[in-house]
Amino acid sequence: MNDDKSPSRKAGASSCSVLNQGESTLAELPVGEVGVVVSMKPSLRGRKKFADVGIVPGTRLQMEAHAPFGGLLRIKVMESSLSIHRDDAANIIIRRQDRP
Amino acid sequence: MSRKYRIVLAGNPNCGKTTIFNCLTGARQHVGNYPGVTVESKTGEFMLGEDEIELIDIPGVYSLSSSSPEEGVAFEELMKPGIDLIMNVIDSSIPQRSLYLSTQLAELHIPMLIVFNMSDEAKKKGLKFNIQKLQSYFGCSIVQTVGSRGDGIDKLKNALAESLLHLEDHDVPKLTYGADVDDAIHELEEWIEPAMTDRIRHIPARFFAIKLLEKDTCVMRLHEFHGLDAIIDAQITHLYARHAITAETFMADCRYAMISGACRDAISFTQERRREISDKIDAVVTNQWIGLPLFFAVMYLMFWFTFTCAAPMTDGIEWLFGWIQSLIERFWSPDIQPVLRSLLIDGVIHGVGGVIVFLPNILFLFLAIAFLEDTGYMARAAFVMDGIMRKFDLQGKSFVPLVLGFGCNVPAIMATRSIESERDRRTTILVLPLMSCGARLPIYALLIPAFFAVKYQAFVMFLIYAIGVAFAMLAARLLKSTLFKGDGEVYLMELPPYRVPTAKSILLHMWDRGVMYLQKAGTIILGVSVLLFIANNYPEKKTFDVDYGAQIMAVASDTALSPEEQADAFKRIERMRHAEAAEYTVSGRVGKFLEPAFKPIGFDWRVTTAAISALAAKEIFVSQLGILYAEDAESAGDGEDEQEPLRQQLRRAYTPLQGFCMMLFCLLSIPCLATLAIIRRELNSWKWMFFEAAGLFVLAYGTTFIVYQLGLLLKIGTNYLL
Repeated sequence: MNDDKSPSRKAGASSCSVLNQGESTLAELPVGEVGVVVSMKPSLRGRKKFADVGIVPGTRLQMEAHAPFGGLLRIKVMESSLSIHRDDAANIIIRRQDRP
Repeated sequence: MSRKYRIVLAGNPNCGKTTIFNCLTGARQHVGNYPGVTVESKTGEFMLGEDEIELIDIPGVYSLSSSSPEEGVAFEELMKPGIDLIMNVIDSSIPQRSLYLSTQLAELHIPMLIVFNMSDEAKKKGLKFNIQKLQSYFGCSIVQTVGSRGDGIDKLKNALAESLLHLEDHDVPKLTYGADVDDAIHELEEWIEPAMTDRIRHIPARFFAIKLLEKDTCVMRLHEFHGLDAIIDAQITHLYARHAITAETFMADCRYAMISGACRDAISFTQERRREISDKIDAVVTNQWIGLPLFFAVMYLMFWFTFTCAAPMTDGIEWLFGWIQSLIERFWSPDIQPVLRSLLIDGVIHGVGGVIVFLPNILFLFLAIAFLEDTGYMARAAFVMDGIMRKFDLQGKSFVPLVLGFGCNVPAIMATRSIESERDRRTTILVLPLMSCGARLPIYALLIPAFFAVKYQAFVMFLIYAIGVAFAMLAARLLKSTLFKGDGEVYLMELPPYRVPTAKSILLHMWDRGVMYLQKAGTIILGVSVLLFIANNYPEKKTFDVDYGAQIMAVASDTALSPEEQADAFKRIERMRHAEAAEYTVSGRVGKFLEPAFKPIGFDWRVTTAAISALAAKEIFVSQLGILYAEDAESAGDGEDEQEPLRQQLRRAYTPLQGFCMMLFCLLSIPCLATLAIIRRELNSWKWMFFEAAGLFVLAYGTTFIVYQLGLLLKIGTNYLL
């Protein structure tokens, strides 16, 4: 697992230059914090699947938890709770917001 | 005038479609609180006044496309002609997400009825709906229900009857996706209309136009539209350019924009109280540090519950069968119809009774699983286990089917359909038979107390289950690094809010499983027991190699022996005579023929026949030993021996090492025929089924061989620990 994490990390780092002020990836959002989806990186797989559950630009997300031993994140989207993988979250660009 | 209608029940995963289905049809399909319980379409019928209604429950989907097997099933079902009405169930506590599918269903222009289910939870959250406005927006009626309590079902039936009256002149929703998109849709429609053939003419061209703009694979594959690629691409490029977007998700964006427009008007929050309790529980349960230990505690509790709480009931059933047997023996003299009497006592009571004894364990196991499913904990378990599962190249979604496998492998294999990644799904199916199912439980429950001291029993039981899990994980790793190599797919799973399970739902699930178990005992196991009884007794041996009569006479006339010594000698001779007779029977011959092959793993011919007949159903292993040893006891002609429980006889015949090897072999070996059949169906291949059976047999034989030979060498378990 560790082997295939490093290239995706690298991809995340190199495209950091694309990020504007105040933007970060969903994977970097700390637990409890809120963000709004700005855009998806072209490298995001299964884009349609994420769109179908409501992860589209403009959607408000909250990071709820990190799973033990790595991979999964639990995020709140449109009143429902979803688990997605960190590698995919690294391809979703968000803008941090203050908590309500 | 009575008419017949076809109605399809559609909605998101875990929105309560099946609960509504059960309410309307009176059926008792299994429901659970995690996404993807319904994995194939189910049909039910009910009467609505004079009219006959055929209701079709399709798998829950987020979208009308084909990114998973369930979506494929749902899509195909909705494309079929002859649907009179779509009943769209939505979880009204998450309206925005749920209405996304409604916008797609509405484009089919089939009359629709929207059911705002879970309206109690919506109310708790402070959601208020302007039903009037929503109705005009989607061009159909909306009914609010609470499926779990049956609230609103009468209203739903009335609305359904009303909708069926207006099938001919139903409203067509006019959904708009913004001027540019609408133009593109119109343009495409012009091209699609002439390309449509009869088989899809009942679906509006507009629906296909939208799907083609999304590049939906299911629709793109239809041969009717193969010539249109260039036109579609031109439209898409044009739209992308206009909106400065570069993705196939702009239709999804448009739909959500449309819904949020509708929701702003029609849905309001009166108070901000969202998922509060659920979130608080999740803060602990899915915590990075507490989550896993908590999960293991829950699993331990589940097994403790299954074995400890069922014990008194098991004793009760054992006593009951003993009592029935003694009753028959008292009132049915051995002189009248001796064969039938023996068939009833040895074949039916020992064979079927031996299996029914474990009914309480099965009931408690399914009670525990149903409780975990209905509360919503299963989805959390998948979340916290994902990290560990990935170490073995599986994923969190494989986890729920694997746990269900402890109950029964057949529904567990069906539950793998919620795994999108085909490679992960195949791997999960192939390793699932290593999860020790409920039918293997009777084998352990018989053998463990026979060979192990009380203080070791729980540990041995845990060890057996753990060995199964360990082999499953290693096998998964092996499969994923060889046959199913490749990148994983996108992981996306919803965690439903916690719900207090209704006692009715849990008890029903337990009851259904209990009835299924009893049916199995009354049909397959009864039938196989009778066959085995015949195979174990015939052909009868008339002339013996040794003159036992003379031996008995010799002992009787030997005055040098004390009466006790004489009795022992009689018993020994009787046993030898019986052994010779048993070897002459069909099972004896088959067992004896195969014995050399199974000797290296510690099996004699009786255990060999039991292991072979266990292919029909795993519990038969217990029945067969029960039948074989019951005869031994009876033909020994000793009143005390006849009452002696099977365990004591086993203890006399085998060492604990052999007992352990029997369990190990039963755990790892070829699953029952029902499981093989479902593997063939789910993988759609005879080749894989045979591969699976052969692979498991080799694994079971190899492992048992190593354990037995090592045990003999190191003298572990060759004597009694007792």
